[in-house]
Amino acid sequence: MAVQTKDALVGARPAAAPASGISPRRVLGRDWAAAWLFLAPCMLVIVGLIAYPFFSAIVLSFEAKLVGSPATWVGFDNYVQLLTGRDLSEQFWQALRVTVSFTIVAIAAKLVLGMSMALLLNEPFAGRNAVRAFFFLPWAVPTLIAGLTWKWMYDGSQVGLLNLLIIRFGLSNDLVQWLGNYNLALWAVVVAVVWTSTPFFSMMLLAGLQAIPGELYEAAKIDGAGVFGRFRHVTLPSLTNIIVITTLLSTIWTATSINLVYVLTGGGPANATMTVPLLSYEIGVAGAQRLGMGATISLVFFPVFLVMIVFLTRRMLAEERSG
Amino acid sequence: MTRRLVHTAGLLVFALWTGLPFYWIVVTAIKPNLLIYREPSLFPSQITGEHFAFVLGQTPFLLYVKNSVAITFVTTTLAMVIGTLAAYAIARMTFAGRKWVARGVVVTYLVPASILFIPMFQVIYSLGLIDNIVGLMVVYLTFTVPFATWMMLGYFRNVPIELEDAALVDGCSRLQALVRIMIPIALPALAVVALFAFTLSWNEFLYALVFIGSDSQKPLTLGLIGLVRGDTFPWGPMMAASLLGALPPTLVYVVSQRWVVSGLAAGSVKG
Repeated sequence: MAVQTKDALVGARPAAAPASGISPRRVLGRDWAAAWLFLAPCMLVIVGLIAYPFFSAIVLSFEAKLVGSPATWVGFDNYVQLLTGRDLSEQFWQALRVTVSFTIVAIAAKLVLGMSMALLLNEPFAGRNAVRAFFFLPWAVPTLIAGLTWKWMYDGSQVGLLNLLIIRFGLSNDLVQWLGNYNLALWAVVVAVVWTSTPFFSMMLLAGLQAIPGELYEAAKIDGAGVFGRFRHVTLPSLTNIIVITTLLSTIWTATSINLVYVLTGGGPANATMTVPLLSYEIGVAGAQRLGMGATISLVFFPVFLVMIVFLTRRMLAEERSG
Repeated sequence: MTRRLVHTAGLLVFALWTGLPFYWIVVTAIKPNLLIYREPSLFPSQITGEHFAFVLGQTPFLLYVKNSVAITFVTTTLAMVIGTLAAYAIARMTFAGRKWVARGVVVTYLVPASILFIPMFQVIYSLGLIDNIVGLMVVYLTFTVPFATWMMLGYFRNVPIELEDAALVDGCSRLQALVRIMIPIALPALAVVALFAFTLSWNEFLYALVFIGSDSQKPLTLGLIGLVRGDTFPWGPMMAASLLGALPPTLVYVVSQRWVVSGLAAGSVKG
């Protein structure tokens, strides 16, 4: 009986009669009704909870708005103030410098460590599965808990693990203020960031390594390539795509994340670790609650991320098609 | 021979690097305060359950856990249903704008929370869900739904279409075809989606920090920060609570790590 019914859920038979004239089916596609019904909840999330807030962030960035009071349109005022104004611009440019160097160093370290870890795990050895599971464990730990743990290890008195080790091994008699020293704090945060997200790189790269056919290495060996030659001429070229995707994804997440730096230093000492996203939190929500300026801070470099997002979207969808 | 040696040395270095923080969480959680502060020790000569007893008995820790469980359960379930329906439509149906929808899913997945949290505050405020775990259940859909859709889409595309065509010819509706044919085949992918949605929601912190104020509504991550009194971190209880709080995602990960690795590679999940 269902064969005759043509309601939205049942219809969409491959052998549907060709529509004549301009029918909804012709314009909107054979399964349009059922498709949009299936897509409706997803679209509600994407449009209502992502696209709408995103565009209202753009509108907010042109407004002066405090929490709980009406907004006034100020045009580019927030942007001008942020980039050149007296009260914020110095802090903003400092935050930008911090964010850029923090991101570059963290990503480079993750890539090098992640690659080394993946190469080590790609060799067969006894207990490899258990070791792999263990090496990837930091990925599953909530960032906040990783942050608390590192904060505790970095404790500046003699009870912190790192200072304890330094004293125990007689490396120095002075206690190091890992998170309290202006020149050290940022790199201490980077180490914690690298610890939590190196597994992501290793997992991606290991999956890539395992997909390289063994014959390629055999051929390179016959051609007389050594360990490094094989890495340069076989491994790296085969992994280019994965390296690019992983690096870009991680760059977006690293440059915009707040959790670790919030827990470890809260931006201090003296703004040494104040990153752009943390600044937008501080200005927009935590302190003065200047929602408009907060939105401006988070958006001012969004075009850079947008380029990465568009590029990644293409790559990820292309992989989908070929894979 | 040297190769073997370098390999083993490398593994040892990474084991130390990975293991040290875990070691310190566990050791701090079971050391009496004397061995934490007064005579700090690397290898405790005494162990105690007092920090766990304190966390479970004297703090709202169990309430935080309950909230986290509720949020994670609702968000994960909704994301799986919503993502599966959407992915099926994109993978199998013909409609105008299909490509744009697929792009939209990936783009929204990549938009960082640090841009959304300020305007999201207004959205949640206007829904009357500030300081309410229901607000977090809704907001967490922003990262779980695009991911779930993207993940299921990749899987559905690799299922041969003939299986389903046969069902459709036999008079199944689209929904029946999805439930009876596709979902049983896609169970491993659904497991991966559940796993990641669970981990991401359980570990989330920023939105909770911005939207939640009352103890009664705090998820675990936010609650942990609340254990700090003034500027003092009671490290014994904090590490005990951290250990307990990290346990669910770690256990889930250990049990299903083979899927995690393949799923991560396929879906490029946040790291």
